[in-house]
Amino acid sequence: MEDIIIKVTDLVAHYGDFKVLDGVSFEVRRGEIFMIVGGSGCGKSTLLKHLCGLMRPTSGEILFQGKNVAAMDEDELAEMQHTIGIAFQSSGLFNSMTVGDNVAMPMREFGNVDEALIDNLVRFKLSLVGLAAAQYLMPGELSGGMRKRAGLARAIALDPALVYFDEPSAGLDPIIAAGLDEMILKLKRMLKTTFVIVTHELESIRLVADRVLMLDKGKVVFCGALDEAMTAPIERLRQFFDRRPDEYIT
Amino acid sequence: MSDTRLKAPDKLNGETGARLFDEARRICRKDIKTLILDLSQTRDMDSLGGAWLLKIAEYARRRGGEFKWEGQPEAIADFMAMLAPALKMKPRPARKEPGMFESLSDALTGAACEFAEFLNLCVDAIYWTAVAPFEGKGFRFDAFLDEAHEMGVRAIRIVCLMNFLLGLIIAMLSAKQVEAFGMQIYVANLIMIGFARELAAIMTATVVSARTGAAIAAELATMKVQEEIDALRGMGINVAQYLIAPKLLALLVVLPCLVTLGLISGLAGGAVWGVFVLGFRPSIWYQQTLGAAYMDDIIQGMLKTVFFAIAIALIGCHNGLRVAGGSRGVGLMTTRAVVMDIFMLICIDIVFAAIFYYLLG
Ligand SMILES: Nc1ncnc2c1ncn2[C@@H]1O[C@H](COP(=O)(O)OP(=O)(O)OP(=O)(O)O)[C@@H](O)[C@H]1O
Ligand SMILES: [Mg+2]
Repeated sequence: MEDIIIKVTDLVAHYGDFKVLDGVSFEVRRGEIFMIVGGSGCGKSTLLKHLCGLMRPTSGEILFQGKNVAAMDEDELAEMQHTIGIAFQSSGLFNSMTVGDNVAMPMREFGNVDEALIDNLVRFKLSLVGLAAAQYLMPGELSGGMRKRAGLARAIALDPALVYFDEPSAGLDPIIAAGLDEMILKLKRMLKTTFVIVTHELESIRLVADRVLMLDKGKVVFCGALDEAMTAPIERLRQFFDRRPDEYIT
Repeated sequence: MSDTRLKAPDKLNGETGARLFDEARRICRKDIKTLILDLSQTRDMDSLGGAWLLKIAEYARRRGGEFKWEGQPEAIADFMAMLAPALKMKPRPARKEPGMFESLSDALTGAACEFAEFLNLCVDAIYWTAVAPFEGKGFRFDAFLDEAHEMGVRAIRIVCLMNFLLGLIIAMLSAKQVEAFGMQIYVANLIMIGFARELAAIMTATVVSARTGAAIAAELATMKVQEEIDALRGMGINVAQYLIAPKLLALLVVLPCLVTLGLISGLAGGAVWGVFVLGFRPSIWYQQTLGAAYMDDIIQGMLKTVFFAIAIALIGCHNGLRVAGGSRGVGLMTTRAVVMDIFMLICIDIVFAAIFYYLLG
């Protein structure tokens, strides 16, 4: 039995009266790449926000390393958030600092790293995402793909056990997107980090995912290993992987 | 002067990395040529270990040596491949602190450039406000009305309140001073002269620069940061015409009106004290106030406001358009605009005071 890092049971979430997540349950194992897929508006981003404690569920349980995120108070939540990394869809880099300082910020705030080593540690993290040369540039001077990677470097600044990544390759050209996939695989291997990734990209699912969760209208349609996902006879899943539009299902 | 070898430990982490760095420092005492790191024993490596590795490479390079590594096993080959560019990077040259004369000359040329930019903006703005519309090049009248409403109508309450309170305060202060001589009726003169020549204009302009000057700077700075200004330019639209001229004209129209209202409010504040506390009959206070000032005094007060309006509008625009960087730049430039505004108001005021003192007495 592999080590379970996240266990979600019967998660229900609402926006006002609108039920976004309806009894979602799944598990993420330590050290794997877990991909969340599904049509636009099916609640993927909402699920991610619940997992990292930015939103509170209506009911249900989210166990992160055995502790219930849904029932944590502010302090416990902050402590939990120091052990995870979040890379936002639009990177969320602070405009007023250099890329290096962006990565150094969580280290200075929460890490107990010697100031003399921080510069080298920052360069190390930036090397892992292939941006060592951009340490002293401002975020405004980066391209879209570089910004995504810099956001990832900041997310892994504190060596988190778990990284959440919202749509890593949306809006990137296929070459850069492939590079990003490669990088995620390497980071997983080298830092033994668990990744929970929201994505639409079929290619990157095939290449990177260990296991896949598919949501539809707030419910889990499928949760299992990648090769199972490629063959399982579930209509919605087949439609997604074969890229068939809605009107073809009867 | 030879190759020096350094053996990396089996697990490279924060602790062993620090030890490795100490060792590297010890053997690098003499000037070395190449520092070779033997990684053949290393099976595992974490972020802190990697950071120490970079620090060792940097140290060797600062000493004029070279840094190489060899024998890395499969387990950390990926790491080393990704670290290679950073390990080979030259250390960043330490930034040289500029000398006194250098920084002085930098500051002077910077100020001169900025002043030239500002003059440019002034000429542009005045052309597009006062000349171009008569050449048939168009003026955004709707935008002007919007701005006038925002800058003027919506500022009336605060301007009146501030001037009224100031009138009250000055009346209180001065009544006490002249009480012993029984000349309290002359408080009316003081208030009239004070507000007509100075206080109404300076008080109102200060309120407006904090309100409107800051708003102009923040608006233009945000537009610049979000590439809206570039979008305008890209469509072939002149920024001075489209954005600055309506603001400038609106402020030119609105500020004298606000100052007039401010003057009336200030007088009212004085009168409230004179009538209700000092006990003068309203008609007497009224006569005394009217008789205190000549048209010259009022003109002097009003003339300034034109220059105040130009200063507030253009300093706001100038600082807004100079913004660099993102959200933080916007804040810095807005602050700078208000500080410059208030300083400029006082400068203009003192020039006028001197002129009227020597020319008109
Ligand atoms: N702040 C909000 N208030 C109300 N409803 C919201 C809010 N945010 C999202 N929703 C609704 O919740 C549903 C799920 O949104 P969510 O952002 O999780 O979708 P998603 O799966 O991430 O979609 P996409 O792939 O397009 O990003 C949508 O139907 C959306 O309309
Ligand atoms: Mg989303």
